[in-house]
Amino acid sequence: MTAQDLSSLTKKQLIVLARERNIAGRSTMSKAQLVEALSSTEQDVNRPDPAPDAFAGINIPGISPSDRAQAREKRDALYSRLSSFVDTEVHCAWRSSDGHPCGLPVTVGSPTCGLHGDGTTFDCAIPLTGQLGFSAWPRLLRQLSLATYDTDIFGLDPVIAEMVWHVVNMLYFDYFRVDVEGIENIPMEGGAVLVANHGAAALPYDGAMLGLSVMNEAEIPRRVRVIGTEIFNMLPGVSHLYRKAGGAYAAREDARELLARGHLLGVFPEGERGFMKPVWDAYKVGRLGRGGFADLAQEASVPIIPVAIVGSEEVHPTVMVSKRLAMLVKLVFPEQRLDAVAIALNPVPLPIRWRIRFLPPVEPTAPGHELDSLDQLELAENVRVTIQTALDDILSTRRTAF
Amino acid sequence: MQRVLITGAAGWTGGHLARRLEEDVDLEILGVDDREPKVQFDSHFEQLPLDRLTLAQYVLDVEPNIVFHLHSVHPRSVQGQSKDAEERIVGSLALFGALERLKTVQKVIVKSDTAFYGASARNPSVLSESARPHGSPSRYERNLREMEQFIGDTAGRYPNMSVTVLRFAPIFGPSVGNPISMFLQMRAVPTMLGFDPRMQFIHETDAVSALVHAGNVGVPGTFNVAPEGQIFLSRVLRLGRRVAQPLPSKLFDKALTMLQRANIVIPDDLRGLLKFGRVTNTSAMANTFGFTPAFSQRGIALDVYGRNPETMA
Repeated sequence: MTAQDLSSLTKKQLIVLARERNIAGRSTMSKAQLVEALSSTEQDVNRPDPAPDAFAGINIPGISPSDRAQAREKRDALYSRLSSFVDTEVHCAWRSSDGHPCGLPVTVGSPTCGLHGDGTTFDCAIPLTGQLGFSAWPRLLRQLSLATYDTDIFGLDPVIAEMVWHVVNMLYFDYFRVDVEGIENIPMEGGAVLVANHGAAALPYDGAMLGLSVMNEAEIPRRVRVIGTEIFNMLPGVSHLYRKAGGAYAAREDARELLARGHLLGVFPEGERGFMKPVWDAYKVGRLGRGGFADLAQEASVPIIPVAIVGSEEVHPTVMVSKRLAMLVKLVFPEQRLDAVAIALNPVPLPIRWRIRFLPPVEPTAPGHELDSLDQLELAENVRVTIQTALDDILSTRRTAF
Repeated sequence: MQRVLITGAAGWTGGHLARRLEEDVDLEILGVDDREPKVQFDSHFEQLPLDRLTLAQYVLDVEPNIVFHLHSVHPRSVQGQSKDAEERIVGSLALFGALERLKTVQKVIVKSDTAFYGASARNPSVLSESARPHGSPSRYERNLREMEQFIGDTAGRYPNMSVTVLRFAPIFGPSVGNPISMFLQMRAVPTMLGFDPRMQFIHETDAVSALVHAGNVGVPGTFNVAPEGQIFLSRVLRLGRRVAQPLPSKLFDKALTMLQRANIVIPDDLRGLLKFGRVTNTSAMANTFGFTPAFSQRGIALDVYGRNPETMA
């Protein structure tokens, strides 16, 4: 539309247009100003949108419009960066036995799409259609129903993982507005143990955000395989979705297997105790379990990357820890080892601004050898102090949690 | 001329194993079981009560060189119907007692089951042979553990005898007719609401091939036998175009009870499997034992439901 076309519209229509293009201060502008602002943004609007945001117009309480605009910018940047990983001109070489093509674009540098490769490509989370977003879902759902690909041995289904990725990205960009530092500490290939502070009460947002931060910010979108307790294997509905999105069970065997396959392993060794920290103890990192992660990393000769996550411990501030409720839960899930249940005030997570800092990797000292239990505890303690220092540093520089 | 003894030869696997071994003219095959054979084969078949000394006496009489012990746990205990505690693995006790006395036996191949590991939320995602089982075991699982323990002890005493224990993933195939295959081939399959277990199957022909392979190579040890990888139950049903009917656990149990009228008896261990699933590590099978199944996990599902092979809907 030219400026002439624009000025023939009513002011109301102009404001609607201005809202679509996210022009700040549109409600206070005069008609002439609106026409000017609209015609100056004309160029941007003509640019094809990599993935239309279905929720752009919805106002989220507690999130300012400038944050939304920034989130949208970040999201667009991510989408356009991810789309460069696939070649939409070339289609996947896979053919069914009756000659039907797969129809998905190939990932750059390989003859097949992400689904029909040799299965080792599952570590890398390149979007199958080259875009994230609801517009990709019809094609993903088609792949899901055709089921012509194999899942990972831990149950990762790349199609479902991608759908989950897209949905949780709304939390990541628009709600928690995650800032990531030190992403260059994540190795581009091979295994590593990401050790983070735990605390989310109610729901394990931090596991999801840790995974997303690597997928969204790292140069190559790698998956972080987060391991969780057996409750994730028991809860109806959660149990399989969690697997399909890339999770595994927090058993030594699982962790070892994941590292042996060269995956990034995400662990929260604080476990339940970290999960149920009351809000006045937030960001005081507790003992990191028995330090089993140190032993695992040593055994697999992979680095340990301490991760400080600020935000997770405030989204559901825990005000009470109840043992009686735990007994009730045990009635339903008798197999769950559970001592107490955290009670938070708010059913809806608070719109906290998250910061995730990846700290320099701790290389294994004597690769391949087992640590004795004292070394193991010492290394775990060092990692704990590193995370605590980083947390304190982030907390001292931030002005508000929101 | 080598003499091969197959216990449990009346079952589908035993019968087909006998048929496959008959192709080799150097082998004399003898089958024993306490039931009428399901699959007809040309070799000699003897119907004996397998839980008595008669089996031991028979083994001492025929002096076999290779023993395929498919009757390691009594089928009735698989279904959880056996009342007699002794009956369950007494066949194994009798057989191994006789084998200890005989010095002619070179290879013993024991058919076990990955049900050994049980099905529990606390099991590691990928079970290797050394994994410690978690959770409270069903009767069948307990029997398997007892049997393997006993066989392991016996094998330790006789190093000249090569004992191969094969832990088979649930055998799934179009003709095997075991509970899990019959269950999954129904038009509509009840599933547990909110659970989509990670499964691992082995194709019926691959199960027989694995036994034949074990008879040829005689690698001692315990091996998980299944194609690599896993498959979600929902995906199996989707590939088979079966309707999954999710039911809450109470109704699910009721549905399983009702299925008994249709002669599909789902034992306790399978119920656990349909909730938590079970996936094993098969690298020892591929590397040490040296066996590669012909069907992949998806290939099995496609073959069972007659969708040959990879087609687009």
